[in-house]
Amino acid sequence: MNGLLLDVREVSKTFTRGGLLSRETIVAVNKVSFQLAVGRPEILAIIGESGSGKTTLARMILNTETPTSGRLLLDGTDLAAISGSGSRRAFMHKVQPIFQNPFESFNPLKRVERYLLMTRRRFSGTAEESTAAAAVDAALHKVGLSLKEVSDRYPHELSGGQLQRVAIARALLAEPKLIVADEPVSMIDASLRMSIVNLFKTLRDDLGISIIYVTHDLATAYYISDRIMIMQKGSVVESGDARTVLKAPRHPYTQQLREAVLLPEVSDPAANVTHGINGPISPAAPERTT
Amino acid sequence: MHADAEQPQRDQDAQPLLSVRDLQAYYQTSHAGVRRGIRAVDGVSFAVRRGEIYGLAGESSSGKTTLIKSIAGAIRPPLEIVGGSMEFAFLPGYGGLHRAPPAELERIRWRHLSYIMQGSMNVLNPVRRVRSSFVDFAYPHIGGSRRRFEQQVIAHLARVKLDPSVLAAFPHELSGGMRQRAALALATICRPGFIIADEPTTALDVVVQKEVLGMLRGIQRETGSSVLFVTHDMGVHAHITDRLAIMYAGRLVEEAATTEIFGNPLHPYTRHLISSLPRIGDDAPRQGLGGAPPNLADPPSGCRFHPRCPLAREICRREIPVMGESAPGHRVACFAVNQGERA
Amino acid sequence: MAVFLRDLLRYRAEFRIGVALVAAVLLLSVLASFSPYPPDSVYVVPPDLPPSLTYWFGTTSRGQDVFWQLSFAIRNTLLFGGTVALVSRLVALAVGLISGYKGGWLDRVLMSVNDTFIVIPLLPILVLFYFVMRDRISWLMLALIMACFGWAYDARLIRSVVMSLRQREFTQTSLFSGMSTRQILTEEHLPYVMPILFSTTMNNMVWSIGLEVTLAVLGFTDINTPTIGGMIYWANQHTAMVAGIWWWIAFPTITVIMAFIGLFLLAVSVNAHIDPRSRLWSVGGAS
Ligand SMILES: Nc1ncnc2c1ncn2[C@@H]1O[C@H](COP(=O)(O)OP(=O)(O)OP(=O)(O)O)[C@@H](O)[C@H]1O
Ligand SMILES: Nc1ncnc2c1ncn2[C@@H]1O[C@H](COP(=O)(O)OP(=O)(O)OP(=O)(O)O)[C@@H](O)[C@H]1O
Ligand code: SF4
Ligand SMILES: [Mg+2]
Ligand SMILES: [Mg+2]
Repeated sequence: MNGLLLDVREVSKTFTRGGLLSRETIVAVNKVSFQLAVGRPEILAIIGESGSGKTTLARMILNTETPTSGRLLLDGTDLAAISGSGSRRAFMHKVQPIFQNPFESFNPLKRVERYLLMTRRRFSGTAEESTAAAAVDAALHKVGLSLKEVSDRYPHELSGGQLQRVAIARALLAEPKLIVADEPVSMIDASLRMSIVNLFKTLRDDLGISIIYVTHDLATAYYISDRIMIMQKGSVVESGDARTVLKAPRHPYTQQLREAVLLPEVSDPAANVTHGINGPISPAAPERTT
Repeated sequence: MHADAEQPQRDQDAQPLLSVRDLQAYYQTSHAGVRRGIRAVDGVSFAVRRGEIYGLAGESSSGKTTLIKSIAGAIRPPLEIVGGSMEFAFLPGYGGLHRAPPAELERIRWRHLSYIMQGSMNVLNPVRRVRSSFVDFAYPHIGGSRRRFEQQVIAHLARVKLDPSVLAAFPHELSGGMRQRAALALATICRPGFIIADEPTTALDVVVQKEVLGMLRGIQRETGSSVLFVTHDMGVHAHITDRLAIMYAGRLVEEAATTEIFGNPLHPYTRHLISSLPRIGDDAPRQGLGGAPPNLADPPSGCRFHPRCPLAREICRREIPVMGESAPGHRVACFAVNQGERA
Repeated sequence: MAVFLRDLLRYRAEFRIGVALVAAVLLLSVLASFSPYPPDSVYVVPPDLPPSLTYWFGTTSRGQDVFWQLSFAIRNTLLFGGTVALVSRLVALAVGLISGYKGGWLDRVLMSVNDTFIVIPLLPILVLFYFVMRDRISWLMLALIMACFGWAYDARLIRSVVMSLRQREFTQTSLFSGMSTRQILTEEHLPYVMPILFSTTMNNMVWSIGLEVTLAVLGFTDINTPTIGGMIYWANQHTAMVAGIWWWIAFPTITVIMAFIGLFLLAVSVNAHIDPRSRLWSVGGAS
């Protein structure tokens, strides 16, 4: 229908939390709308306050959380209408997730290659073991790993960066049209981070995959994304072309974010020490010798 | 008020809080009868002084967490300490927590030493409310009336910008960043003398992150404690650490005052790391490091960086560069640097 | 699981004692197969003899050898407890897994059934059954009735664990790897539920055996099948304590207490071992 890959229409989500006596209602996502077009793959960055509903929004797009109100359409199909294993698999064939915490992405009691092989088998149609292993190896190579390095390993035997790359490789195996990545690079080193965001660019340009990139890292968001959405307390407070928004933020919260970015440089050693202290400085603080 | 009574002011510089000497920590796995050692930490030496924040950065899977785990005594098979020692000022004579008797460990945990592990959100008990975790872990060490304890917890949560209502929530009802802050609050509420933190702020937005770092800095200054801080976020290092060490493939490659590392990086890996950082407003393409990451089960000979190093030369393949002081307080392990040549 | 048991054996003294006690009781029950006398015949040996080398635990006023009678009794009692535990575990597992994973209306329906079973008082129901059924009540029927009441609380426990597992990201990864609900529950979640299943089995057996003994002592069960409670019932009928035949009561009591303590220690030590408090410092390993 009218060329939209993803159409998010006024979705809201409320939660209730707390014990019997002190129940409170939390509006995690408040009337958010946006669209992704078919045939024009793009990287959409979602940035915002911790607890502002980014993960909840991502989960609704992944159809693992149902909105309290509003509609989500993928390729013209209403997500609320998906039921039965057939249509659910068709949905997962189009949308795949990458999660925040690589240590939580895989069952600690199982070997990681299990998920790679499973994904390949379930979504490729062919069931041949040898080609499955080759395909898994190829996907791992795209993220700078190989099957040899991860085979027979449990999640705790891989580092955070390795696990996150395995998670990306797994998502690629389903050959999706949209990847929803919730803080995919927050636990890996700066250099690898660049390899992965460059990989996202390649996925967009060469494979035509759109990516929703939830992050706290404004610099990489600036570096790779086409569009950006800034969220605060469940609402989108500013959105638009990534470079424009980040270079000249309009909304006060965006400006605040922009100012709080810690630059990777030390201009004045004295400023380094006094930054951001909100408690009283005790006179007993030891002398510093640097 | 919590200042360590047993911390004589004068030998602050003389005796570091923690000194690690030539530490080797391997994951010893045996596979179908073949023993395989992953040399995740291989000959690391450094010292953390009293009252300083010591930063540690480096490549993913270079062994930072392994190093931290060894120091914190969280050593479980297949991880083994193969060589070297870790001496704490508050636990002299044992050469590491893993060699200390359980009674001694009980004494120092929480009060003297607190360890925030990577992915620390998982510390919170998933089937109980956040309040129970605080009561279980921190109450025995703080004591007093439950009322006062609760107030103390609420005040402490406020320092990491968390609302008291999180106490009544289950961990899965909190966002990732909220869980991470709850875990951080839990680890710091007893105001330990030495905080070991492995990526404690990765899930926070920059505004909250700044507050939380301020809190950590505040506690550190009030109690004169030391912090060993691991993160990939070089902005955080620039902002909070006093000295910074860079790790690559199980070894330290460079260590200096944080200002020095950013202002005058010497090791080729450090240089690459610093130059790969993207900035807002800068559209130049950045590249990740080329070549394959080292395999720690069979690391490259000589300098472990040589297959990917632009300055590599003959000697790098054969010999292991040792940490040499290129300037006072600036140590580098690189033949090119130590022989006075720079790129 | 194997690693788990090995760690338990190595690090927990309670677990070792528990295993020893349960093993001793099990051994006694296995010996029943070698009994020289059939379990229900009476006056096969001289009555009222105190423990001696020929009759280790003495003989009863009904002319039965206490040792062999006891081995039948404990076998039946354990079998009873085992049946109750097995059936109620299966129900608890099915309800807990489905309720916890599916959530929604299914969860609400299952949990309201569950709550009904938790609040209905069991003992009056059992006595009522006895008066209705009288002699037609068999131990299997009694076991099934008790199983109906034994699953509810543990199903809730399993449900809460599965609910928290469902929130974890790896469940999402499994889902998006194309696994079916059944696969996720049996392959991804079941391993986490196993320790709980194990420790509640022990508690459940203690509970059902205790209840069976109580009912039997009061005469509310099929007294012709030898059980621990049945033995004590007959001893009371013959006023064994007054007549000084203490061994008729003492040995069954000691055996069932050994079984209780053994099972209880197993449950406690497994519980302590899986207590998430030990998570804090346990890093770098699968839990
Ligand atoms: N299952 C739940 N039950 C109750 N409240 C929830 C639940 N999931 C999320 N919330 C609440 O909804 C709000 C938004 O959470 P969400 O995880 O979407 O935030 P986020 O933007 O991803 O934050 P972060 O950057 O810290 O990951 C939070 O206040 C959180 O406590
Ligand atoms: N339990 C284990 N068994 C076997 N190998 C392991 C185990 N834990 C870690 N490793 C390996 O040891 C190496 C170092 O891992 P470590 O977690 O210390 O890295 P790191 O520097 O903390 O990385 P990251 O920044 O990605 O967290 C990696 O190659 C990893 O695969
Ligand atoms: S020692 Fe040689 S290979 Fe290693 S970093 Fe220096 S120049 Fe490069
Ligand atoms: Mg989130
Ligand atoms: Mg790590």
